[in-house]
Amino acid sequence: MSLLAQQLVLAVLLGGVYVAVAVGFSLVWGILNIINLSHGAFIVVGAYITWTLFGRFGIDPFLSLPLDALALFVIGYALQRGLINRVIRAPVFFTLLLTFGVNLAIVNLLLAVFTSDFRSVTPSYAGSGLTLGPVVVPYIRLAAFVIAFVVAGLLSLLLARTRVGAAIQAVASDRDAAQLVGIDLRHTYALTYGIGAACAGVAGGLLSTVQAISPTAGDPYTLQAFVIVVLGGLGSVTATVVGGLLFGFIEVFGQAAPGLGAGYANAIAFAVLVVVLVVRPQGLLGR
Amino acid sequence: MSTPLLELQDVTKRFGGVVAVNGVSFDVGEGELVGLIGPNGAGKTTLLNCLSRMYRLDAGSIRFGGVDIAKLGRHEVARLGMGRTFQVVRPFRSMTARENVAIGALFGSERARLAPAEAFTVADEVIDLVGLGGRAKLLVDELTVPDRRRLEVARALATRPRLLLLDEVMAGLNPSEVAEELEVVKRINASGIAILVIEHVMQVIVGICPRVVVLHFGRVLLEGDPATVLGDPRVVEAYLGERYARRLQEARGG
Amino acid sequence: MRRRVLGVVAVAAVALFALLPLLSTDQARSAGLPQILDRSQLRELTTISMFVVLTSAWNIIGGLAGYPSFGNVVFFGLGAYATAVLTDPEHGHLPLVVGLLASPLVPAVAAVVIGFPLLRLRGHYFSIATLGISIAFGEVINNLDVLGGATGLFPPIIRNDLLFYYLMFFAAALTVAVTWWITRSRLGYGLVAIRENEEAAAVLGVDTTRYKIIAFVIAAVLTGLAGGIFAQWNSFINRENVFPVDYSVQMILMAVIGGAGSITGPVVGAVGLEALIQLLAGGSGVYTQILLGALLAVTVIFLPRGVIDFVVGRSRLTLAHFRRSLRETSV
Repeated sequence: MSLLAQQLVLAVLLGGVYVAVAVGFSLVWGILNIINLSHGAFIVVGAYITWTLFGRFGIDPFLSLPLDALALFVIGYALQRGLINRVIRAPVFFTLLLTFGVNLAIVNLLLAVFTSDFRSVTPSYAGSGLTLGPVVVPYIRLAAFVIAFVVAGLLSLLLARTRVGAAIQAVASDRDAAQLVGIDLRHTYALTYGIGAACAGVAGGLLSTVQAISPTAGDPYTLQAFVIVVLGGLGSVTATVVGGLLFGFIEVFGQAAPGLGAGYANAIAFAVLVVVLVVRPQGLLGR
Repeated sequence: MSTPLLELQDVTKRFGGVVAVNGVSFDVGEGELVGLIGPNGAGKTTLLNCLSRMYRLDAGSIRFGGVDIAKLGRHEVARLGMGRTFQVVRPFRSMTARENVAIGALFGSERARLAPAEAFTVADEVIDLVGLGGRAKLLVDELTVPDRRRLEVARALATRPRLLLLDEVMAGLNPSEVAEELEVVKRINASGIAILVIEHVMQVIVGICPRVVVLHFGRVLLEGDPATVLGDPRVVEAYLGERYARRLQEARGG
Repeated sequence: MRRRVLGVVAVAAVALFALLPLLSTDQARSAGLPQILDRSQLRELTTISMFVVLTSAWNIIGGLAGYPSFGNVVFFGLGAYATAVLTDPEHGHLPLVVGLLASPLVPAVAAVVIGFPLLRLRGHYFSIATLGISIAFGEVINNLDVLGGATGLFPPIIRNDLLFYYLMFFAAALTVAVTWWITRSRLGYGLVAIRENEEAAAVLGVDTTRYKIIAFVIAAVLTGLAGGIFAQWNSFINRENVFPVDYSVQMILMAVIGGAGSITGPVVGAVGLEALIQLLAGGSGVYTQILLGALLAVTVIFLPRGVIDFVVGRSRLTLAHFRRSLRETSV
């Protein structure tokens, strides 16, 4: 019983991390119609920034999150403005390839700089947690969970309440009409991609505190983000949150199923993906 | 009288809560030329998509050549002899006009399986028939807008259909091009192919269709010869009502 | 003119690929012929031929039918495992020929089973779903102790590099021949129609579901054959070397760089790129990968129709073309 409770708590907290992993990916996909295969690499870059700041200067990982966001925003904005904008009207396959190329370059650049060793960020409070009866809630995971929701909430507000958000929504619903009312397409696309990358950066910072990172750790995140967005449905932050939480449950309880184990993490995820795509392609909350 | 070529019975299609096509019934006889008209949003294209199995029916039945097409695939309906065009043209862009038409000839008929070489011969004939002669070797992107519409017709025609569904093939054409296109339609019909012409602009088909079906809010409003239909107050209202609604919207600044 | 020159070049290249390896044999050396190729170079040529198979086979589903699979490596892996299970002393212990004959069968069945649900998906969804399937298959096999688990399988060692070179060369020639046949048949016309507009193809009578599955199965059969040959050649397989996601991506990259949808494009892309990869740091260096990423970006932006298109097609490699290509796709 207490094992089940503990698993439930872990599933929810893990779901929070997945929300952070997927929220930027979902934005870029929904607005720009780009499957950003370099999303995982962005996450890893964020993780390495946090790791470097912690290791070199002793900066608390949670304090470096805004820096992750800022750095990735700049990288993302520049990439979209300089490269991806140039093929945005080509068949989707080409943006897929282009972002894969970017991913390949980033991952190997990281390998050249940081080597393939696994790194982890372990502040003094790592390992301690809140004890609630039989259940332990690790502080770090709790904080990551809360921050993931703060990020999702901020993104929601940005899209719903600000001029920038309105421009982004307008571009997504009708590119030509948006241009007619004076929205700068190139800038808005770059902004959207930059924000998506910034979310990935924060996710990376959070992940560096809960698991070991290496330059090649990014691809699974991209794939998980894809599954989460398909699961929840494309088009809203809420759908991504639902997808992320659900994915946390699927992962925790799927691996606990008899005959399966941690070795089957991806297989479970993709079995879910294929079932959802075939049965309900618009996702749980999709339109 | 023998059974008609195409029989629609209570054909109904819903999208969520909206009933786009609501209990539509009418026939098209072998070799007949029938007009399907109605204001914007009357459900004409939806009905057409039901006919070519792009959509699944919610109720009713469609029989083509005596066969219920509910369980058939799109390609099977096409091979039974139902050809169609798309209102927004859907050419194969990497191909020349001739290759586009050859696809119809290659796959359109189950009975006569053609080899690619034979299909190109058929394509050349059809291309001349619709007035695309001389532009056969051009890529789709090099064709003018009216020519792309002709290509839609040619492709469907190359499948050797018994019934041709034309979805607003005259939209955006100038008067002289419309006149040319009408001639092509008449010529196709004269060769024994039944045609269902869908048009938003009534005047276009009044001249060539002996029988017209008027669709309004997804229902058959009226069916008859063009003169009677055009004189009917309900038809006038259907069209004027739409215009009135539009003016109202403009006044609101929408 | 240009075409004729290229034709001659192509024939010469094929002849070179067919005959040159003979010079690497001991017999050739004892006959006093020049030793142009050494063993390791012969192995590199075998690898190049292997990528010609993978890339050209990908081209049938991705380039002709327009369904860019990101998981074709699954067929390579399944082919390799099918062969290895049959020839491995601990399992089938059957002769090489039997193993190779089985290598296309298992992937073919898998293509039908995977294809029915997945080929209904379009665009991104198809790409990522195939990627997922290939990762999932690799993972499941990695966990199955019957198939050697993470350790893998060890088919009996056959020391005959020349044999495996010619097997792979044959597979490559077969793949190109099949592609050539497809582009001249009803199947080819139907596939290209599906790629350009699937709904229009359907209403013109193309049985789209059937054609897509046929294309997927053909790609699977050829890819599986290469997997089977690889398993025997390498005499050791596991998830790492027969289910790598990298292979799926390399097939696409090579096809696109050469020119997807054509017969020669994928071949040129595979030979050119694999040769480049071998030249640079034996193909595993970090900087090679960075270069590949950059190459991919440049190709996608400047040469979306591939290199071949510039050499024989209407477009010419000029600044004006770059500008036009950019204008067409950018905002």
